[in-house]
Parts: sequence; C-alpha cells; structure tokens
Amino acid sequence: MIPEFGHLILIVHLVLSLLGGTLPLLVVYANYRSLEISIKKLSVTLFILITISFLSLIYSFLVDDFSVAYVAQNSNINLPVYYKFAATWGAHEGSLVLWILAMNAWLIGFIFFTHSKDKDFLATVFSISCQVIFAFSLFTLFTSNPFERILPIPPLNGADLNPSLQDFAFTVHPPLLYFGYSGLLIPFAIAVSAMLFKKDTREWASYSRPWTLLSCSFLTLGIALGSWWAYYELGWGGWWFWDPVENAAFVPWLLSVALFHSLITSQNRGVFGKWSILLSIFAFATSLLGTFLVRSGILTSVHAFALDPERGLFILAILAFFVIGSLLIYSITDFGHVEENKYELTSKEFGFLLNNLLLVVLAISILFGTIFPLIYEAFTGGKQISVGAPYFEIILFPFALALGLLQGVALYLSWGKSSSFSFLPRLFIESLSIFSLIILILFVLFDNLYLSSFATIFLASWILVGTLQITKKRNLSYWNFLRKRLAVTFAHAGMAILTIGVGVVSSYSLEKEIILSPGDSTEFSDQTINFQSIDDLLGPNYTSKSAVVSFEDGSELSNIVTEKRTYLPSGQITTEAGIQADLFKDLYVSIGDNLQSNIWSFKIQIKPFIRWIWLGALLIAIGSFLAGVKQFKRR
Amino acid sequence: MNPLRKQRLYALIAVLIGSLLATWLVVSALSENMNLFYSPSEILEADIDENVLIRAGGMVKQGSIEKSKDSLNVRFTVTDYQNELIINYEGILPDLFDENAGVVVRGNLKTDGSFKAIEVLAKHDENYMPPEVAKLIEAKE
Repeated sequence: MIPEFGHLILIVHLVLSLLGGTLPLLVVYANYRSLEISIKKLSVTLFILITISFLSLIYSFLVDDFSVAYVAQNSNINLPVYYKFAATWGAHEGSLVLWILAMNAWLIGFIFFTHSKDKDFLATVFSISCQVIFAFSLFTLFTSNPFERILPIPPLNGADLNPSLQDFAFTVHPPLLYFGYSGLLIPFAIAVSAMLFKKDTREWASYSRPWTLLSCSFLTLGIALGSWWAYYELGWGGWWFWDPVENAAFVPWLLSVALFHSLITSQNRGVFGKWSILLSIFAFATSLLGTFLVRSGILTSVHAFALDPERGLFILAILAFFVIGSLLIYSITDFGHVEENKYELTSKEFGFLLNNLLLVVLAISILFGTIFPLIYEAFTGGKQISVGAPYFEIILFPFALALGLLQGVALYLSWGKSSSFSFLPRLFIESLSIFSLIILILFVLFDNLYLSSFATIFLASWILVGTLQITKKRNLSYWNFLRKRLAVTFAHAGMAILTIGVGVVSSYSLEKEIILSPGDSTEFSDQTINFQSIDDLLGPNYTSKSAVVSFEDGSELSNIVTEKRTYLPSGQITTEAGIQADLFKDLYVSIGDNLQSNIWSFKIQIKPFIRWIWLGALLIAIGSFLAGVKQFKRR
Repeated sequence: MNPLRKQRLYALIAVLIGSLLATWLVVSALSENMNLFYSPSEILEADIDENVLIRAGGMVKQGSIEKSKDSLNVRFTVTDYQNELIINYEGILPDLFDENAGVVVRGNLKTDGSFKAIEVLAKHDENYMPPEVAKLIEAKE
C-alpha cells in the first residue's frame, strides 16, 4: 500500500507543480486575478508532498519491500539498517526524488526569505521554478518511477546495494551534491524573471546572490566528500581522477563561483548585468548537462547508473527547453537602461572581469575535454578515444596560476580605480616569508625538496597573505577586520590551504607495490613495513580477509588494518584501504591479490598534506555559506 | 577615447587574449593526450608505433589469466570473439577484474604484437560494461 501511496502523492505533486508553473503566469501576464493563488502555501504544499513521497520510499527500504523493483535492485535483507535508509538515494530513481525534494526546499527558502514588494516578480520566479520541478517530476514518473512494482511474484530478497556505496561519506555526498546542483535553479529562475520584468541589475542581483552562494557552498562540500570517498573507498589513493562525473560537478562549481563574484559587482556597481544573467543560465544548464552526461551512459565513467538512452533523451529535452527558452528571452529582451559605471584597468571591477573570464574559459575547456570523445566519435564515424587526466592538468595549471595571482591582489583593489599599489612590495615580501616557512617545514618533515611544488606553494602563500594582510590598508584592528570579513577570509584562506595540499600531495606522494607473507617486513621511505597477520572476518553482509600491516618510523608504530571483502548477496569483491590519517601525512595501505597460500601483494602509499585539500574545501564551503547567510541579515 | 569605449576595449582585449590562449592550450593539450581505443581486431590491421599510448579492450578470455606466484606480473588474453590480444601487466589488478568480464587497458603495443599495459581500468559496479566493450559485444550479436 505504502508504495502506491507514495506514487500517488508523487502524481499529485506533479499536477500541483504544473499548476504552480502556469497559474501565476496567467495571473501576471493575462491578468486573470481571480486565479491568484498563495505561492507561499503552494510552495509549502509541494514540499510536504514530495517529502511524504520520499518518506514512503524510505519506508519501503526499511521494511524490505522487495515487491518494489527499485528496492529489490538496491537493497537486501542483510544490509545494515543505516545503509537501507541511505540506499534510498543510492541509485538513479531515488536520487531523482531527492533532487526534486531539494529543488522544493530551495524554492521555499526563496519564497520565505526574499523581501520584495513586487509580488508579480516573486510569483514569476516561483512559476519558472515550478516548471523545472514539473519537468523533473514528469521525467521521474515516466522514465524512472521508483515505486514500480514487481508483481505478482516479488523476489524473496534484493540484489543488494553496490558494496562500494556502503559507506558513510557516500551516504552524505549525494544529498549535498544534489542540493548544490538544484540550488542553481533559483538564480536561473531569478535571471529569467529579471529579464521579463526588466529589473534593475542591482535589485535582482541582490535577490540572486545569497542562493548562488549557498548552492556553491553545498556543491563544494558535495564535491569534497566525493573526492574523500574516492580516496579511501576505491582503494587507489587518488583524490581526483578527472572522470566525466567529477567534471560534471566541477564545471557548475566553477560557474557558480564566477556567478557570485559577478553578482557582487552587479549588486554594488550595477554593471555586468547581462553577463550575470547569461552566467545564471549556463550555471543551471551545466548542472543539467552533467546529469545528462552521467545518466544517459554516453560517457565512460566510474559512476555507473543503470543506463537508458530514453532517459538521456528526456533530460536533453528538458535541458534544451529551458536553455533555448531562456536564451530566446535574452535575445528579444530590450534591457532598456543599463548602468554604465566607469572603471579603469586597475579597478575592482576589472579584477572581477578577469576572474570571471578565467573561470568561464577554464570551465569551457574542461567541458570541452569531457565531451570531446563524443564529438570525435560523431565526426570519425565511431572511432573511440579517451581524453586522459594530463589534458586536464595541463589546462588547469595556467588558469589556476593566473586566478591565484589575481586572488592575492584582488582584495586590495577599489571600485572604479585603485589609487595605490604600494601594497605590492609588502605582499611580495610577506608571501616570500610564508613560502620559505612552508618549504622549511616540508624539509624538516620529509627531508626532501621538490622544485615542482614550489610554484603552487608560492601561489598558496600569495593568496594567504593577500587574504590576511589586507587589514594594514583599512585601519581596522586585526580581529575586528577578520570578523567583519569573516566569510571572504574563510573562503580565500580555504583556497590557499587547498592549494598547499594539492601542491604537496602531487609532489611528495610515495607509492610502492610489494609482496609479503605474514611476519615479513620491508623498507619504504623512512618506514619499516611489517605484515603482521591475516585473519578471516565475518561482517553483517560480507566475509573478509583482514590484514594487519604495521608502519614503524623509529619513534612511532601504527598498526593499520586493510580488508579484502566479499559481499555475500552479489559476490562482489571490494578492497577496504587502511589509512592512518594525520594532518601532515596519511599512511595508506590497501591489500591486493593472494599470490599463493599466505603470500599477498599490497599497495602502500604515503600521502603528505592530503587532508589539507579537504580542509581547504571545507573552509571554502563555510566561507560561502557565511557569505550567503550574511546577505539575508543585510536586509 | 571616451572612457566607456575604453573600458569596453579593455574587456574585449582581455576576452580575446584569454580565448586565444585557451584555444591554443586546449588544442595542444588535446593532441598529446588523446588515447585512441582499439579492439583486438583493429589492432591487427592498424599500424601503431610502439611509443604511442593507446587503449585496448575486450572480454577477458576464460582460463587465460596467468598470475606469477612471486611477482606482480600478470598475463591475460582479451578477445572480441574474432581476434585476441595478449596483455602483460605488472601491478595489482582492480577488484572487478575477472575472466569473462569486460576490461579496458591503457598502454603500448609492442613490436611482438603483445600489449604492455600501464593501467587496467577499474569500475566499481559489477554490471558495468565499458561502452567500448559493450559495442564490441553488440557488433558480434
């Protein structure tokens, strides 16, 4: 009964979102005032409906209702309860419901927190959002219905949740990412409505800014968690693979960062209005495009959703409708009066312009590399290629360098024209000192210097000093200053910390594949690696070979456990890496093959400063979250 | 020049330089890091330099996996059901590597016709089939 109930509620939600997507527009444009509805009430109703529908899906998972096809494919009687719960969004169908729920949550937020006297404008933003929500609901019901039953004879047990997804970070990573993606709906709807109403740039930018910042914050967290998960769960010790699915999240992230920087300029100076509108459209479009690329199966990815070309076409149709529609509005809109504030080459405006240019061109280049295999295949009649990670690294480096250099000076610039560049020598000297300090620390810690890391470390110092030293200019007490500019300090310092992490981990990482039998030891860097023991273990839904490997560097001994698990329902084998995490270095070991009787292969790695990457990302997320929340307080 | 025009000119120049640099970067990076995919049959026909990094793939032939007992050397055969290719690899194989499963490898084709893999691609879903391999199977049917 419950699944049918959830299904029914989802249909009611579909109908109501269609009403929400049409009625307010009729009221505003055809002046049918008698049809006026309370958008507050409707948004709450929609949210409650989708929540109930989602809860009934969760319920079906918790009670092991394998007559529901989606549950049967992604759960199992022996799956621990927590993972049954999280399996709800473990595959395509359920994650779509969560996505719709997230869009509804953002919409409620927008409706209740935006104080505008222009009720028609709010109603239009609401209506456009409802259209997107309607399209997604239609997509879910017609191509990906999570409540579909296997009747009359349901299976006795489910196929189980993909073992590598049975993990804590995984359970939190998708919701955060979906909230990030779906949050870009609000800036999109605002941008389209702003064109329709010929809104003043400063005004609509102020509505859009908090939501862009909040989405960006969620995207950052989602991406960082995904990277962390891949690091320990896939057992390779890498933190970024330039996989299409990662790029599909990275591109909207870059655009959302570009967008909120552009919006700062639009809100304060009234310039970049059209540009901000285009960016809002494309940030939203790339979030849909990512979904399309990943779930239609046209690109090779580590994330294998159940693939279905029909779904791909449907998403493509949604994408085309909203992007073409909004661009059409853009091209026929007479923007009327556009503010033309003057700015010089040395101005903050020009800084933001460069920032946007770099971010957008970088995003396009990454997107191009991601979809190039498709283009190539289409033009050569089926010849298949892949674009390797080096492509993306070659592309990223110069852009990151330019962005970092700009970021270091950005906070010193003034609107219109910067009068003095006397901060430069000091910035340079202080960056150099921080740089030397970091290099010294690295030398003490690892007895080694790699020239290849110098550029990134200097860049990180430059950004850090540029972020923290600015107080000298403003005659504020240091702490007062930090408090007032807490958000930007967090975000920019986070970028510096992330940069240090990337620089150190890519130069100082060590890895080796070794063969040992219990009791054997080997030398690796300054560590003595000892294979202590291997035992059979029985988990709730898996059996495992659990190996204890010790690392000893003279002063410290750590025993690390790594497992080779065989999940019972599917027979799938996974490797659980053993990690001794530390702020300055991770010791990482993953068990390989059983060569004969008791002899095993292992991959051992030392990953210095890898935590700094996620720590930096966390700071960026906190920073943009604070910046977003601050926008509410201002009004 | 009128300040507004000057301002637009700056923006235009920045955009132009940026896009030109980016295009140059993209084209040069792409030409060096594009790996073509070959099936075992295509490899027989193609003329591939030993130093060019390529990708190959197919189904791992049943009973063809030979693991060394005292090193990480592995040798296995991939097939597209018409022709076969012998792959040599040194390293730990991904968990989902198995006979009768699809696999994609990256590496160099040696002059003796065998393939030296530097990477065996891992996927984290047992039902997943690399699209290239899926197409080979489709073509067979």
